[in-house]
Amino acid sequence: MKRSRLLALPAVVAVAGLSLTACSGGGDTAAQNDDTLTVWVMGDSSANFEELVAPFAEDSGITVDTVAIPWDSIDQKLTTAVASGNGPDVVQIGISKLRTFADSGALLSLDDDTLADYPNLASENFISGVSGDATAIDGEVVSVPWVSDTRVLFYRTDILAESGIDEPPATWDELRADAKTLAGRGDGQYGYYVPQWDSALPVVMTWDHGGDIVNGDGAVDFDTLAFESAVDVYTGLYADGSVPTNSDFDQTQGFTSGVTPMLVSGPYLAAAITEAAPELEGKWSVAPIPGADADTSLLAGSNMGVWGSTDNEEGALRLLDYLSEPETQLTWYGLDGQLPTATAALEDPSLTEDPLVAVYAEQLQDAKILPLVPNWDGDTGKTLLDSLNAIVLNGADRDQTIADLVAATSGTSVN
Amino acid sequence: MKPRIAPYVFIGPATLLLLAFGVLPILVAGLVSLTDMNLGGLGDWSRIEFIGVDNYVELFADGAFWQAMANTGIFALIGVPSVIALSLAVALLLNRSGSAFFRALRSFYFVPAITAIVAISLVWGYLYNTQFGLFNYLLSIVGLPPVSWLSDPVAVKFSVALVAVWRGTGLNIIIFLAALQGVPREYLEAASLDGASGFRKTVSIVIPLLRFAIFFVTITTIIAWLQFFDEPFVLTKGGPIGASTSISLFLYQEGFSASQFGYASAGSVVLFVVIAAVTLVQLRARRADVDY
Repeated sequence: MKRSRLLALPAVVAVAGLSLTACSGGGDTAAQNDDTLTVWVMGDSSANFEELVAPFAEDSGITVDTVAIPWDSIDQKLTTAVASGNGPDVVQIGISKLRTFADSGALLSLDDDTLADYPNLASENFISGVSGDATAIDGEVVSVPWVSDTRVLFYRTDILAESGIDEPPATWDELRADAKTLAGRGDGQYGYYVPQWDSALPVVMTWDHGGDIVNGDGAVDFDTLAFESAVDVYTGLYADGSVPTNSDFDQTQGFTSGVTPMLVSGPYLAAAITEAAPELEGKWSVAPIPGADADTSLLAGSNMGVWGSTDNEEGALRLLDYLSEPETQLTWYGLDGQLPTATAALEDPSLTEDPLVAVYAEQLQDAKILPLVPNWDGDTGKTLLDSLNAIVLNGADRDQTIADLVAATSGTSVN
Repeated sequence: MKPRIAPYVFIGPATLLLLAFGVLPILVAGLVSLTDMNLGGLGDWSRIEFIGVDNYVELFADGAFWQAMANTGIFALIGVPSVIALSLAVALLLNRSGSAFFRALRSFYFVPAITAIVAISLVWGYLYNTQFGLFNYLLSIVGLPPVSWLSDPVAVKFSVALVAVWRGTGLNIIIFLAALQGVPREYLEAASLDGASGFRKTVSIVIPLLRFAIFFVTITTIIAWLQFFDEPFVLTKGGPIGASTSISLFLYQEGFSASQFGYASAGSVVLFVVIAAVTLVQLRARRADVDY
């Protein structure tokens, strides 16, 4: 059992070699024929997506074959697809993976000429943070926006009121003070929750202190005053004893039980709270992310790309065009709870009537994507998180750790 | 001449499979480790560059690599003696009786070995959980403070190793039981006639006769623990801050999460050399041994 794992890596490389040789004269095998589209969607289930594209399949006569790829196995799946040449036709790409996908050279370039016949795919239709140049790699656009996701502040109105806090904190310093007050409720009670796996949070804090983690030359740069301020807030929360230190802390449970009455998360947390604790209805709310010099939050979500070796480029683009219709995106919000990227859909009254969604939609207007470095999750973001966690959990020397972080990441270029 | 072909026909298929899936990948890894191959290079071979031993130089200067090496050493130090001692003890106890109850116990002990690792980790993850886990609840009953089973850099090594020990004993118990069946009854009867106690018989006859089984289990267990992967991967993803990252998990992270195939291949070659060296040393030590 364990033995096979060790051999897995070289085996993939070996298989890559064998299959490339085998395929050299055979062309690609991405699609069986022109009437079928294989779509990789991320997540555990493809049922909702099948329902979403059913009308498209009926209208166009194209069979859409949906394959669900669990988030955990995206990397392996992409690696084997690139190595073997057996990719899908259309693929959903989390924005943090976009650079990796683009660098693999597997995606079709979606330049203006390619998109000319598909009016819904024009970049001005989407929120500016992810459309067109915002997610171009090396000046080349290889994906179109699909769903968006942003981070807002979740807070328990009842618990905050009991501790004499009437308004959600508007700045990170206020949040730190409030969190300390809330942590004073007793043993095992905290004020805020920092997910130890969330590399975006310190970046958002940096943005909100008026800085960026990318300098004017387009390279990653943590050697700034704004980042120092972000580190102060981040480590300060731990120093105050305001956040739980165990890595297996469950954020939904922590929020519903009141152990951590404030945290920053995405719309999916609202769904999880409603499901896990419907009795809390009316006792919690969301607010825009705390600011300092800015109120910028994280813009996450997914884009859609077309696999370069597809046999059915036209069908794939028609599908993307369909998915970009505001109507389709609203249906998807209804089916799967994921926020649209088309501005027309985000302004639709059916969404903005919901006070929670109104906050998300407002925050989306002031949200940025993480820098498109070659490997955020596995490299830059991981180094950032490891450094901060080493300070707050292991008591590593702050200045030395930050200096090491700067040295390890400087020169990593964006695009 | 003809009969000479027969043995090659018999070992041929197995040898071919071994060459294709055992030796070839190692050779490929050795080659890839001298390049800067990443995901882009995998799609387009012209983007791969030969960089000599740069990967190895970088690897030996990488703190995370040494941390993973040290963790693997600690895992092996905790795991190997525990697995061997525990499975030998259980096998000796199970061998005392052939009744239906003891036969049922054998399958019971084997269950962890055949249960899916993901299911195991889910259950153990809940047992270890600091908020609502059973272990901390039990500690609280006897008035002890909670333990951060999977969040403390020291505790996590034991927590993760414990699951692997629990999972690893089943198969080794079966191997020991099979070897115990091979202990000749005459020796035991002769000892009984001489008035030897049950304990004396176990120590002086059974365990020496199990020497080969113990040797086999030791080698396979050491190799398994040097390639320790499943438990930290699913329970902790190697955290907190790399405290439970084994060398295999490190290779996985570099190779599949970071797409640095050249770098990861260099690491896997180093691991291969370590395992080969450890095994060779053991085989050498065995050579001096007397066979019964």
